[in-house]
Amino acid sequence: MRQLTAGRVVTYAVLILAALAVIFPVYYVIAGSVMSPGQISSYPPDLFPHGLFTGNYEGATHSGTPIGQQYLNSILQTSVITLSQLITSVLAAYAFVFMKMWGRTVLFGLFLATLMVPWESIVLPNYLTITGWSIGGERLTASHAGTMLALVLPFLANAFGVFLLRQSFLQFPLELRDAATIDGAGHWRFLTRILMPLNKPALMAVSLYVFLAAWNQFFWPLLIGDSASRRTLQIGISQLNDAEAADPGLILAGVTLSILPTLAIVIFGQRFIVRGLTAGAIR
Amino acid sequence: MLVPCVVIFALFIVWPLGKSVSLSLHGSDLFGRPDAFVGLQHYRDMLGSAEFRHILWVTLAFVLLTVIPGVLGGLLVVLLLEQHIKGIRIFRTAFALPFAFSVASASVIFATIYNPAIGLANGILGKFGVDRIGWLTDPSWALISVAITTVWMSIGYNVLVLSAGIGAIPDEINEAATLDGAGGWRAARFITVPMLGPQLFFLVVISTIQSLQSFGQIKILTPEGGPEQSTKTLVYSIYHTAFANNASDFGAASAQAIVLFVILLICTGIQFGVLERRVHYK
Amino acid sequence: MRSIRRTASAVSVLAALALIAAGCGGSDTKGDSAGSVDAPDASALDSATGVTKVTFWHGMKGANGTAVDKLVAAFNEANKGKIEVTPVYQGDYDETITKYKTSVQQGNTPSVVQIYDIGSRFMIDSKQTVAIQKFADKDGYTLDSIEPNIANYYSIDGKLNSMPFNTSMPLLYINKEAFVKAGLDPAKPPANLDEIMAAAKKLTVKEGGKTVQYGFNAAIYGWFVEQLIAQSGTTYCDNENGRKDLASQVDFAGEQGVKIATWYQEMVKQGLMPNTGKKTDDAQAVFKSGTSAMHLESTGSLRGYIDAAKGKFTVMTAPFPHLSATDTGGPIIGGASLWVDGPGHSDAEKRASWEFVKFASTPEQQALWHTGTGYFPINSKALDLPADKAWVAQYPQFTTAITQLHNTKPTNASSGCILGVMPQARKAAEDGLEKAVLGTDPATAMKAAAESIKPQIDTYNKAVKK
Repeated sequence: MRQLTAGRVVTYAVLILAALAVIFPVYYVIAGSVMSPGQISSYPPDLFPHGLFTGNYEGATHSGTPIGQQYLNSILQTSVITLSQLITSVLAAYAFVFMKMWGRTVLFGLFLATLMVPWESIVLPNYLTITGWSIGGERLTASHAGTMLALVLPFLANAFGVFLLRQSFLQFPLELRDAATIDGAGHWRFLTRILMPLNKPALMAVSLYVFLAAWNQFFWPLLIGDSASRRTLQIGISQLNDAEAADPGLILAGVTLSILPTLAIVIFGQRFIVRGLTAGAIR
Repeated sequence: MLVPCVVIFALFIVWPLGKSVSLSLHGSDLFGRPDAFVGLQHYRDMLGSAEFRHILWVTLAFVLLTVIPGVLGGLLVVLLLEQHIKGIRIFRTAFALPFAFSVASASVIFATIYNPAIGLANGILGKFGVDRIGWLTDPSWALISVAITTVWMSIGYNVLVLSAGIGAIPDEINEAATLDGAGGWRAARFITVPMLGPQLFFLVVISTIQSLQSFGQIKILTPEGGPEQSTKTLVYSIYHTAFANNASDFGAASAQAIVLFVILLICTGIQFGVLERRVHYK
Repeated sequence: MRSIRRTASAVSVLAALALIAAGCGGSDTKGDSAGSVDAPDASALDSATGVTKVTFWHGMKGANGTAVDKLVAAFNEANKGKIEVTPVYQGDYDETITKYKTSVQQGNTPSVVQIYDIGSRFMIDSKQTVAIQKFADKDGYTLDSIEPNIANYYSIDGKLNSMPFNTSMPLLYINKEAFVKAGLDPAKPPANLDEIMAAAKKLTVKEGGKTVQYGFNAAIYGWFVEQLIAQSGTTYCDNENGRKDLASQVDFAGEQGVKIATWYQEMVKQGLMPNTGKKTDDAQAVFKSGTSAMHLESTGSLRGYIDAAKGKFTVMTAPFPHLSATDTGGPIIGGASLWVDGPGHSDAEKRASWEFVKFASTPEQQALWHTGTGYFPINSKALDLPADKAWVAQYPQFTTAITQLHNTKPTNASSGCILGVMPQARKAAEDGLEKAVLGTDPATAMKAAAESIKPQIDTYNKAVKK
């Protein structure tokens, strides 16, 4: 149909070059993780592994750091945060769009303003607050369950999700809403039976975004976790290495392990993110 | 229905923010505990110092170096993909991959690539006869290198958002354009880009907020503010004053944090005021 | 935009709320229980019922973290039913001390904490710890087997404040094949900065105008400045390296410091050394790749270097260079040490902490620690144990460190500077060095760096004397 004109050749060339530049670091992590210490630190740099060296993965999984437990912690922490933000955001966005109340816009402005508070400025007070709490005479962070709770508490709600979902809900045809009300559907019924199913893509987009952000958290889990088995994967991986004896292969193996879930989400979930955003989530 | 959000925000954002305000008006003892009330002293010290002005410049430069290339780069990729490209899925996935990386992992990878003596970046340039560049050790390059890493990390998300925007452009509009004889880049220039207004606006706002709050990549790639403090942004300075090297001047650090908060508010306010006026809504 | 004004008003509400919170958010400072920094009697632990629990915060990760866990397991096994130590990794040294400070705020300090050498002055001034010497005096326990050069760093007026734990020393690393190829004798390594520069000129290899091998490389690392100044037999800060009284200024803008900065500047300018910046792992990577013929690093890097060099080149070690040929000083033996916390802990717990600290310093445990981590054993008897001897035979490069330690005469200069804001002072020295490397006049750069740290020293000293 279309001819291969000079312009199209250029388009392809630019795209392929740009794509290679973007993918290269991803390739480098995975290739480097199966290189021996000698190969990875060679110069000029070696781009292709000489065979499959598994020592880095053995080092990462047998380092005394309970990587398996930390994987579980990360999955738990991330799922709880994602689920909770989804619920709290849906509720808040619903209230902002469908419930008439005094000071609605002001309150929404307040929500947005919370996005602008620099995390560095509130992390220490938060840390002091949470580690100061106790349940039944025991410090909250003294038990595994308590630590998990402390990990997720400040992130149970976020204005970003509220913002995205509000924009999406605003697109919802008012006639449909009125029809539902005439049929006798209350707020709850309307929300769960009509609004949410129709906004599935937007919900998906929010979930994926939150999941990735939570999975990649670093500073807070580092402060909160008081023992190796209570830390998250990101922290565990950062601890594989010591500054005086940096081992790049070990780091790359750790990074590869930690990006597998997120890489899978981006590759397979990409469709949903695009569709979710397309469905008017951000306009 | 707002209660859960309000409770969480009040407890973990507003309350600690108040604490920060309070800390910024006090001195700090050896352990970082607030001691004597000093009023606005921290603010006066800060605003009067040449170092702080330098920090603001670096912060501004960093925002410009990350937001503009990040958003324009994403736009370019998406427009190229629009030219009826074969394997669009594969390309789009490729560009989305960096989205999967945490700041920490991405920074660690770029740190090895940037090594001035043996890193891949200089290795590849060397093949073309280009001299070694001190990516992270030359004051005129360090901020650019950190910005490149940041743009790499944000490109995935930007491409996704803009692809979604393009997907949402009604077919009739594209067909009308084709009938008018506007194809390829003309269509992109006069139809696609204006129609992407809301997405571009959204990306500019979000990228600015993220850029102003960037921390991990700065700390990992250029510890201690980089060569001649060339990468010392406001957030890094806050961290440095409060936590690094056994410092614990939470008073001064909190004052900086409040200034950052105000800057963020003003920036977002301006963006809403100026940019959104020009955005075309359906 | 229509909602701008409302958003603005929303923001002012948020600000108002925050201010209200500010009003309520007073500090809850707890008074220190006085007298609890003394060493209790041994009977406190003997008469304790049940298991006395000890929490131990440390900053060791990777293989070193595993070695800590093994050490603790051995102690718990030996004290079953009596004492139980729980090791907790708290992040790197900086993060550990940050967390320690918040624990002081909350009155919730660990029983034992590992703090880096440059945090020692702060730990003394925090008045939260029981000096090791007090326990030893109470029990009539001798600390003689602790390597005197190491003990010296952590002592003031001959009294040991904390128990040395992990110790590393800087060495000059050498790529043997590069030396041989350049016609130099690797058995006669350069011994001072001038000799390094001369050797580096022969060792730098260029192909087609591009450097393929640097004669030398090292990170812009403040630790090296401290070491080189100590090597020259002079002090890094005033009041005898802060050991007579609180130090009031740093001396690195003096003759020695300027000499170091000039040398770094020349090395980079002449293309004998790449500027890899302040990050030590970037400098390490260069040596590991075989792209540099000489290199400064800690003993802790030895094993990683040998692994990375396998099949490429042979790693050799030499004593850390002197500043000038006439120098008589020696390197500083720092690292990190263990501090026993007093306030907020029962007498039984303090005694249990002391038992643990004592255990960690025994020859057997130090030999295990040394062979498991590559750190220097702090107990001189550890080196005589067969297991340790076997390890040193496997890594003969380590012998250099042993000789270097034993050749150093303990003086105030070789003990190193003890300064409340030592971590910041180290960074200031790095800033000065970096400026020089980037082209600023070395004397100006070091002077500016030394001046930049002065206000922080003053603030600290004022806070302590209050």
